[in-house]
Amino acid sequence: MLRRLLWYSILLSGLACVPAAASDSPYLTKRQQLMMLAESNPAELTLWKGEELFHEKRGPKNASLEACDFGLGPGVLEGAYVQMPRYFEDAGRVMDLESRIIYCMKTLQGFTEEDAPIARKHSSTTHTADLVALYTYIASQSDGMKWDPPMDHPMERLTRDAGEVLFYRRAGKMDFGCVSCHSEQRKRIRLSYLPSVHQPAEWAKAISWPAYRIGHGVVRSSQHRVRGCYWQMRQAGLNFGSEASIAILSFWTDQARGHVATLPDLKR
Amino acid sequence: MYPWNHRTVMVTALLALAGVAGCAQQETPERSRGPDPLQMTPEAYAEYLVFESGSFRLDQPVQEGGDARQRMEQDEIQRLCSETRNRPPADVAARIVRIARESIRYPEGGIQLGDWRKGAELARSGYGYRVGHRNDDPDRTAGGNCYACHQMDPDELGYGNLGPSLTNYGELRGQGESVRRFVYEMIYNPHAYFPCTNMPRFGVNDFLSEESISHIMAYLLDPESPVNPGIEPGEGERRGL
Repeated sequence: MLRRLLWYSILLSGLACVPAAASDSPYLTKRQQLMMLAESNPAELTLWKGEELFHEKRGPKNASLEACDFGLGPGVLEGAYVQMPRYFEDAGRVMDLESRIIYCMKTLQGFTEEDAPIARKHSSTTHTADLVALYTYIASQSDGMKWDPPMDHPMERLTRDAGEVLFYRRAGKMDFGCVSCHSEQRKRIRLSYLPSVHQPAEWAKAISWPAYRIGHGVVRSSQHRVRGCYWQMRQAGLNFGSEASIAILSFWTDQARGHVATLPDLKR
Repeated sequence: MYPWNHRTVMVTALLALAGVAGCAQQETPERSRGPDPLQMTPEAYAEYLVFESGSFRLDQPVQEGGDARQRMEQDEIQRLCSETRNRPPADVAARIVRIARESIRYPEGGIQLGDWRKGAELARSGYGYRVGHRNDDPDRTAGGNCYACHQMDPDELGYGNLGPSLTNYGELRGQGESVRRFVYEMIYNPHAYFPCTNMPRFGVNDFLSEESISHIMAYLLDPESPVNPGIEPGEGERRGL
């Protein structure tokens, strides 16, 4: 208790000179309390589980994921996530990190779509999904780096450009598109400040998934975020790891280019 | 036995080739099926992603009947606003306003105000018509979720600001025929006044029933509603009302 109080007093005394205080972005500054709490982000527990799972020999082929190529060579994790989505020759398509982990769980470890480690895409308050844990660990190896998704392959560029079209595409029973909530700064839904796609500094923080979502009590992924957006928009349900989901991720990552990723993050 | 013709030979040869290609890789590239995206424009590829790629659960039943495919198909206003990124040039804006005006249907017996207490609940509720991993119950009344974007009752602190404040809306404008008509039209199809607005078309899209609209209108306009607590003398003039 004393130790915690000490921590808070240190944090409070340091508050006046937190760099984000200089920002005029309410999305960033109104979350000051979150940034204070980030010193003890519960996502670290998920990260540690992911680290163990990554090195553990698992599946019908009794192999670890250490040989998985996330775009920078087999086993290279540092900086891999901020350079995704990316076109992978072996798979013949553009993949985000979550899809790539599944690909390696299939090819290296021999798991199938029906096996629990792949079938279970999201965590609940009573169970942390293996996939989320692995994703959190691998993403954390890009913490503090700048988003820099590759645009060398024509499919990477087409995917990004189609993602931009989807971002502005209004449909569904409420006429919403991503643009409805994420194109202006200082806008809120209820009390939540919304990040704008045109403000790279706040956008870079906003797309920093995985994040421990306080309201959910678990770590969530970018696939979980984009699924929730389509659900709230009253459009059709978006499938996990689908081409459309990766197109949106490709556009949103490109919009954060050159700005720092917080991995894992802490969100409302 | 079927005789071997040119087509059968071609198909067999292609299948054999595909088999060889499949052996060379551990997983057949998903892109080897279907058309070549690199021949498409981003716009065409985006439409392909929505309708052809299996990205969305298009076959899922939806609350209004039919399936989720119809949720993804754009009508003209959705399409025009998407293409112009919500900044339609004057001629497109005029077209949108015309389409919107023609879409509005009025209640038989005139535009009446309902019960503001029920309106207060509907203004706070974000329930209704969500589909996908979880489906909203079609038997539960859908809300207008006004507070997501508008301030209304000044004592409700959890309001959004994507739309303008509506506090004292009725206090400042009264409840006359022309005010009721305008408010009804704004809820029914706001593009009639603000082409490519972010606000949903609650009437055209059958999101809110006629009755729900009347309750929300009462919440906005009824002098007894907490949305209208009153204003300082002279405020109306200062705001040009």
